[in-house]
Amino acid sequence: MIRSWKFWLVLAGIAVVVGLFAYGFTVDPKLVQSPLIGKPAPDFTVTRLGGGETLHLAELRGTPVILNFWASWCVACRDEAALLEKAHRRYGLESGDVRVIGIAIQDRPEAARAFAERYGKTYFLALDGEAGDIALNYGLYGVPETFFIDRDGVIHHKQVGPVTWEGLVTQVNAMAGQQQAKR
Amino acid sequence: MRRTTAGLIAILACVAAALAAGSAWAMSEQELDQRVLEISDQLRCPTCQAISVKDSEAAFSRQIRDKVRSMLREGKTEEEIRAYFVSSYGEWILRAPKKEGVGLLLWSLPFAAIVLAGGLIAWRLRRATQKPRPEPTPATPDDAGKARIERDLRRFERGF
Repeated sequence: MIRSWKFWLVLAGIAVVVGLFAYGFTVDPKLVQSPLIGKPAPDFTVTRLGGGETLHLAELRGTPVILNFWASWCVACRDEAALLEKAHRRYGLESGDVRVIGIAIQDRPEAARAFAERYGKTYFLALDGEAGDIALNYGLYGVPETFFIDRDGVIHHKQVGPVTWEGLVTQVNAMAGQQQAKR
Repeated sequence: MRRTTAGLIAILACVAAALAAGSAWAMSEQELDQRVLEISDQLRCPTCQAISVKDSEAAFSRQIRDKVRSMLREGKTEEEIRAYFVSSYGEWILRAPKKEGVGLLLWSLPFAAIVLAGGLIAWRLRRATQKPRPEPTPATPDDAGKARIERDLRRFERGF
């Protein structure tokens, strides 16, 4: 039986709509590619949680940076705390290849300090200001989010959600390899 | 006496100037609030689903509204403020797509659909008006009809 062109037109329309829905279900609407990848990391100056040392991101040029955004009220941040500390000890303290920095957002200093003590964070921790300038400059959607900044101060990768050890190692190696390739 | 009057006039002038400045400041604050609402209505709340920064009380939305306000105070234009958020969040942060590139295609789709639907309706109407009209049913019955009416009337008068 030969169908009319109207039948095929309606069928094609339905197929397009169903295809779009099917595609929509395969992607996470929350995962938006950051426009900052491949761009210079927004600069900031912060004071260490608890006072004392001041850190200016631009002064770390020449050292890859793992910049982690977290908060004491963030449940997923508990899962990754030990991994970031491990990365700090292995790549920061032992080899000095990488600097790990944690910026707490939308948090209170005492709560952030208590969280750091409870989960044994010894790397550089600071608090974003009440205006959230650092979080907004980095286009944060929530916590945890982690940016991998290469030796040139360029954002190499952004991890949305808690990091994994494999992910950390992969990104650190990728930043090291990228630098070797440039040489 | 003349000095006292001059002093009084000077004080009154100062009070009037202060009041005028106060009302001007209040006006500009109102305008600023309005501008913050207008711009934050164009921005998507980063932590919500399909809600504008204007309509959201999430911490990120509050910080974005404060950022818009401080940028307006610095004299930044609406375009510069939008560009700042696009530079850190991407086009995603804008609730309406830009009227260029793929965004222009998205904007034009509803208008194209309206034009297409209008064209289809006009085409169907034109076809309907061009069809030959069926012959009207004659108002007066033919012979067979007359005979049937006569028969039915007789049956009615007999009382079925």
